Order: sequence, then C-alpha cells, then structure tokens
Amino acid sequence: MRIEIARSGGVGGLTRTWTVDVSSAEAEQRWLPLAEAEVPPVPGDERDRFTYRITIGYTEVHLPESRLEEPWRELIDRARAAAVPATPEDPPSSVEPGTAGTDAVRDPGAQA
Amino acid sequence: MPRIHCSIVPPYLLDRIAGLGDPQLALASRAARHALVELDPVLQNRAEALSAPVRRGGAVVGTLHRRIHDAGTREELPGTLLREEGATATGDLAADEAYEGLGATYALLSEEYGRSSVDGMGKALHATVHYGMNYDNAFWDGEQMVFGDGDGEIFTRFTASLTVISHELTHGFTQYSTNLEYQGQSGALNESLSDVFGVLVEQRLLGEPAETASWLVGKGIFTDQVEGEALRSLKAPGTAFDDDVLGKDPQPATMADYVETSSDNGGVHINSGIPNHAFYLAATALGGPAWEGAGRIWYDAVVSGSVLTDCDFRTFAGTTHDAAVQRFGAGSREAGAVAGAWTRVGVPV
Ligand SMILES: [Zn+2]
Repeated sequence: MRIEIARSGGVGGLTRTWTVDVSSAEAEQRWLPLAEAEVPPVPGDERDRFTYRITIGYTEVHLPESRLEEPWRELIDRARAAAVPATPEDPPSSVEPGTAGTDAVRDPGAQA
Repeated sequence: MPRIHCSIVPPYLLDRIAGLGDPQLALASRAARHALVELDPVLQNRAEALSAPVRRGGAVVGTLHRRIHDAGTREELPGTLLREEGATATGDLAADEAYEGLGATYALLSEEYGRSSVDGMGKALHATVHYGMNYDNAFWDGEQMVFGDGDGEIFTRFTASLTVISHELTHGFTQYSTNLEYQGQSGALNESLSDVFGVLVEQRLLGEPAETASWLVGKGIFTDQVEGEALRSLKAPGTAFDDDVLGKDPQPATMADYVETSSDNGGVHINSGIPNHAFYLAATALGGPAWEGAGRIWYDAVVSGSVLTDCDFRTFAGTTHDAAVQRFGAGSREAGAVAGAWTRVGVPV
C-alpha cells in the first residue's frame, strides 16, 4: 500500500511530495489508527512553517510541523529516503518532483 | 511594563524619550521627534490597534537588542547564544547575516516609521540559526525567527538573502499590528506585507530607488542547480523560478489568475502575488525611494486600525487608498497611483 506525504507551506510556499510503500498490515495496524487519532490543528502564531498532509488510502491527516511527533517523523524519513535513487546518476528521480503551489498529486512512478 | 502604557503613551513618544542622549539612536530619535511634531492622527490610532497583543517581559523601549542563537542542527529553540547586541562579529556567516538583517529591519521601522521594534514597545529581536539538519526553511514561531542551513541541493542557508530575514521579522510586526489571519486572502495579505517590507528593508539599505530595484524575495538562497532567481518577484509574479524539481513559480499577478487551493493555508504564499504586484505598481508609478512613498502609505494602512484580522484584498486596497488620501490629500498623485495600482491587479478601489 502506498502512503503519500505532501509538504506545503514554508517561506517558499513550495509543495513537495514523497511516497512510501508499506504492507497493508502495517498501514492498517500502525498508521491508520494514528491518523484517525489526530485532531484538527488549531491555528497558532507560527508563520511560514511546513504543513504535512499524509494520505493513507481514503484517510487524510494534516499535521503542522510543530506537532510532528516521532512515529510520523519515521514515516516521513522513510518516504524521503525512498526518493533517493540507487544510482546517483539517475536525474529524473534524483529528487522527487514537487508540485509548486497546487493540490495536484504527482505520482513519482519510480517503482520499476 | 504595565500594559496601560501601551495605549496612553504613543510608541514614538516612548521612542523619543528612550532615544535621548543615546548616540546609537540618533537617527531613531530624530525620526521620533519628527513624528511628535506632526502629531499624526494615523500614528496615534496605532496605539489602539496595538492594544490587543499582550506584552511579556521588560524590554527596554526604543533600544535595539538582538540575540542570535545556534541550534547546532538540532530542532530545539532557542539553542546556545552566539552573539548579543553590541558584540563583535562571530565569524559564523549565518549568525552574522541574521544579526545584520535584524538591524536593517529594525532601522526601517524605527528610522522611517518611528516604530520601536516589531511591537512598538522595543521588543528584543531573537533569532536562531543552524536549525535542523538540511533544513529547507525559515520561519517565525510567534516569538522569534528561525533559519535553516538548507539541504545544499535546492537551498543554501536562508540567511543568505536579507529579504528572507526581513520577511520573517515582518511577520512579527504583523502579529503585533493587524494580526492578519493566516488563511485565504487575509493570509495572503499577511504574506504580502512580509514581502513588501522585506524588499523595502533591502532597497533602503542599498539606497535603491523603485525603478532599479530587483523586487525579488529570496535572491541567493537557491543553489546554482536550481533554475530560478529567487522565491518570488513583486515586479513579475510567476517568473521567479521555473525548475524541473520545483516546478514553475505559481504566483498570480492579478485577480484573473487567483488560485483556489486548500494547501498552503489556502495559497497564502501564492495569492500574495496580487497585493505584492499592486505595491510594486504603486511604488514604480511614484518612483524614487519606495520606502518613503508607497511604503509609508502601506505602513499607515497597517496601523490605521481599519485592517481587521479577516481583512480581504478589497478592504485592504481601500485602506491603502484612504491612507494615501489622508497623508497626501485627495487628488494627490500618491492617491492616484495607489488606486491605479489596485485597479490594474483587478481589485478596484
Ligand atoms: Zn511568510
């Protein structure tokens, strides 16, 4: 099962998207319950911080960077690490394409 | 300091009192004296507009006080103190850039507009550099500025551009003045004010008139692997970068291209292109130092008390026009330039 992570905001307002493939069991037992337990973020005084949108199947969770606790950080690190190709000379996927400023979802399609 | 002082004694008067006899504040106190002579009603209203924010601590009014910390690649604030006000350069590039950038931003507010720091009450300016590992961002956390070193592939250190530093500090100014809600049009105005005063800090430091300024935000923070000049352009929104990885600069210049989106708090960093471009058009129509003409008008509008937290583009446009009329007169070229600029971006006043 593919989990998608989109990071928006930041002073540049650039959206970057990463994906990570996990087993259905891991998605259902580990990540879905966490996502469903999250409460909507309360607006604070922070400006230009990142917001993460994590999509697991039909479930979507929005997490401000300031509330990003360890299990989510692990998932994001895995997604970002997965975006780095095995061969460094592979230019199209050396960095996952972001979609600057739109909601459009870009599938990296890097899985051979 | 008891909060009552905030609404009774105009900040510029406090500025003046605090600045007397301090050679470091000669310019600031001169500007404050000027404001005092004018007894400007717009400035007096500011005190009321500022009554909402609650002040903490006992910052000395009218004194520039900077503290730059080092997070040492951890994501913990504030980190260890690197440089305090008056201390010599540390040799740490990011720390010294942050120190200078905060000083230049303070100088614009104090010397041009008679405001004592971001809150009008001499708030100390704190920043943290070397935040996080390969951290691709700079932000305002509600109390202080935070700068990452970048990942080295897309971004270099975020202090490399003065406009990024002044952009972040202006978020502090906005928090203590209009406190524009960070969502939709009011959020885009919040972003735009950071870009506008951000570029004005740089233009003033370099002595650049509107005609020859770059009008770029974040020039110099991309690595040379990125196809792009900067994060944003007030002169030509949508043209700052066009890159394989980052995509194309998504900013619109006019209402015709307003972007409806749920990401980025409703596109606050996208639709800010519209008020940004209106400011550019007003400033270039007037010509000369933008911080004196259009910048003064935008500042007056911000502190007028008419910009509420949910202010939209149309209301803000009307407020800038009112500010131009109040300061320069109905039928003045300033009022005409402001009205013309907003009309051209599709927000008629
Ligand atoms: Zn911002």
